[in-house]
Amino acid sequence: MSILIDQNTRVLVQGITGKEGSFWTQHMADMGTNIVAGVTPGKEGQLCCGAPVYHSVRNAVKAHKADAAMVFVPPKFVLDAVMESLDSGIRLIVTLADGIPLHEQAKIRAAALASHAVVIGGNTSGLIAPGKAMMGSIPYWIERVYKPGRIGIMTRSGSLTNEVTAMVVAAGFGVSTLIGVGGDPVPGARFAEFLPAFEADDETDAVVIIGELGGTMEEEVAEAIASGRFTKPLVSFLSGRTAPPGTRMGHAGAIITGGKGSVEDKTRLLESVGARVARRPREVGSLLKAALGERN
Amino acid sequence: MKLFEYQAKEVFADAGIPVPKSVLITGAGETAAAVGFVGLPCMLKCQVLSGGRGKAGLVKLAKTQAEAEVLAANYFAGVPSLHAVLVEEAVAIERELYLALTMDAPSGRAVLMGCAEGGVEIEQVAAKTPEKIVRETIDLDRGLQPFQISDFVYRLGLRDDALKQVGKLCGALYRAFRSMDAELIEINPLFLTKSGTAVAGDGKLSIDDNSMFRHAAYEKGRPYYASDMEFEAAKEGIPYIEFDGDISLMCAGAGLANTVYDLVNYEGGKVANYLEFGGPNYMKAGTAMRLCLANKPKVILIVTFGTIARADVMAEGITKAVQELKPDCPIVACLRGTGEERVDEIFAPIGLKRLSDTEEAVRKAVAIASGRERA
Repeated sequence: MSILIDQNTRVLVQGITGKEGSFWTQHMADMGTNIVAGVTPGKEGQLCCGAPVYHSVRNAVKAHKADAAMVFVPPKFVLDAVMESLDSGIRLIVTLADGIPLHEQAKIRAAALASHAVVIGGNTSGLIAPGKAMMGSIPYWIERVYKPGRIGIMTRSGSLTNEVTAMVVAAGFGVSTLIGVGGDPVPGARFAEFLPAFEADDETDAVVIIGELGGTMEEEVAEAIASGRFTKPLVSFLSGRTAPPGTRMGHAGAIITGGKGSVEDKTRLLESVGARVARRPREVGSLLKAALGERN
Repeated sequence: MKLFEYQAKEVFADAGIPVPKSVLITGAGETAAAVGFVGLPCMLKCQVLSGGRGKAGLVKLAKTQAEAEVLAANYFAGVPSLHAVLVEEAVAIERELYLALTMDAPSGRAVLMGCAEGGVEIEQVAAKTPEKIVRETIDLDRGLQPFQISDFVYRLGLRDDALKQVGKLCGALYRAFRSMDAELIEINPLFLTKSGTAVAGDGKLSIDDNSMFRHAAYEKGRPYYASDMEFEAAKEGIPYIEFDGDISLMCAGAGLANTVYDLVNYEGGKVANYLEFGGPNYMKAGTAMRLCLANKPKVILIVTFGTIARADVMAEGITKAVQELKPDCPIVACLRGTGEERVDEIFAPIGLKRLSDTEEAVRKAVAIASGRERA
C-alpha cells in the first residue's frame, strides 16, 4: 500500500494535449499510472498517449469514472481547472504550474477545504508512489532517488528533493510515497494533513519532511506529533537555517517575517516533540537509521 | 513587487482612504514649491523600500521652509540612489493604530489584523503580547462583511466616531487588497487626528509577483533594486542577491540554493551572491556567470540536481561561458541529474572535473576561498 495513489488510481489529465501535458502523461503511463482520459477543450474525440480526449471534465468523468485529476494548464487557468474537477466530484487533484496568482492560490486552498478534497501544488513536481504510479513531472528513472521502499517523503522543494532523497536511498532505504506540496506561499495541501494516512499505511515505517524557512507547515507537523495523530519516526531537513531575516531567497513562501518561521524555531519545536532534525542533507540517512533502529 | 510609500498612498487615495496632503519631489530644487503646497510644519520622507526609515533618519520633520530645503538637499546628496522624497503635511495626531491585510495560508482566507498600539514597535508588540493583535479572517468569495468590520473595530477598542471612521477604512483597505492582488497591505501608523479623522500615516503595499500581468502599469525599474547587478539579474528573470563574501553561488532550484548557502556558512565560508539558474533559466549559464564575476569572487560554486534542467545542457552552457568570459577565479562544479554521465566529456575542453557530492563541493569551495587549497 502507498498513500493517495497506486496502479489502480484512475487518473484524468487536464491539458493532456499540450507540450508539457503530453510529454509527462507519456512518462506517467510508462511508469504504470492508469491514465483513463484526457481533457482539452475543443479536442474531444482525439487520442493522446493512448487516452481518449474530452472537451470537458464532466464528459470525461461521465465516460470513465476518474478518481484523480492531473492538471497541466498554465498558471492563470489553474483555478478554473481545479474548480472544474471539484465540480465533477474528483477529490484528488495535482497541479504543477509555478506562477499561480496568490489570491487564486488562496481560493484553491479554501475550495479544497470546503470540498474535503486534496489539492496538491502548485509550484511542485507532484506525487509518486515509486513502482506504482506517478502524477506530475517526477524523474522516476533516477534510481538513486526514486527507489521503492518504506519511507514516506513530503517536500516543499523540487531541487532539494533529489538531494535529500538520494541520501535516504544511499542509507539503504526507499520511498513508499513522495508528496511535493510545492513552494507557493499558499499551497493547496499541507504536510500535517498527510500524516494520518502515513500513520495508517502499513508499508510506511517513517516519514521524512523536507522543509524550509517561512510559513507554519513544520509547526503543524510538530503539533500533529504532540497530539498523537502521528507516532511513527519523523526526520526532517530544513533549508534556510542561515538565511538573513527578511530577505526573500528562493520560494516566495520562504521568508521570515516578524521573527516567526525561522528554521531555528521550527527545529526547536520539532525536536521538542521527539522528531529528529538533520542539519545537513547527509544526516537524514543516519537519523533515519537511528530512529528505526530504536523502534525495532 | 513592493511599492514605494507614495505609490501605496496613491492606491489608498483611489480607494477612499484618507491620506495626508503631499507632493513627491525628485530633486532638492522642488522643495520650496512642495512646502508651499503642503504647508508647515511638514515631513520629508525618503522613498526607499527598506524598513526602519525613521530609525535610519530617512523621515524627518521640518518646521520652516529653510529647514525643509536643507533636509532635502542632504537627502538627495547623501542617500545612495535615492530617486524621490515625499513632502507631506504634518498631521496633528491624537493616537496611532496599526492595520494590515495579508493572506492566511492554512485557511486560504485573507486576514485583517489590527492593533490599538500602532507605530514603529509593532513587531515587538506582536512578539511580546500577541493577544493585542486583533484578527479577522475573510472568505475571498464572500468578501469582508459589515458585521465582521463592526466586530473587528469594537475588539480593537474603538468606540463612537473612531469606530465608524476606522470601520469604513477597513472596507476600503480590503477592496484595495483584492483589486491590487496584494500579498501585504499595511497602514502603520494609522493616525487618529485631533479633529477626529482617520488618516494613513504610512503605507506599505506589495503586489504578488505572480499577478503582475494584471498590474502592467507598474514597471519595476532600477529604484526598486539594491544594486545595478540585482536590477540586471531581475531583467533576466534570474533570482540573485548580493552579499559581502567571496564565494559566488550558481545553483539550480530554490531549496538546493538555500541549502548550499547554509552549508557554506557552516563551513566558515562567506557567500558573495545567491543565484538560481535552474528552472526556466537553465540555459542561461553565461548570464549567470557574468553576474557572479561582477562580485569579484575567489571561487564560483555550482551545485545542481535537475531533471528538466538537464545537467548536460547546463554543462554545455558553463563550458561556453568559461570559454567566452575567461573567469580569473576557479570553479567548483557539482552537477547531478538528467544527462550527468555526459558532463565530464563536455567539461574536458575547459579542464573542469565534475563533483557529485554537495558537501564535498562546498568544502572545496570554502578551502579555495580561504587560500587553504588551490583549484
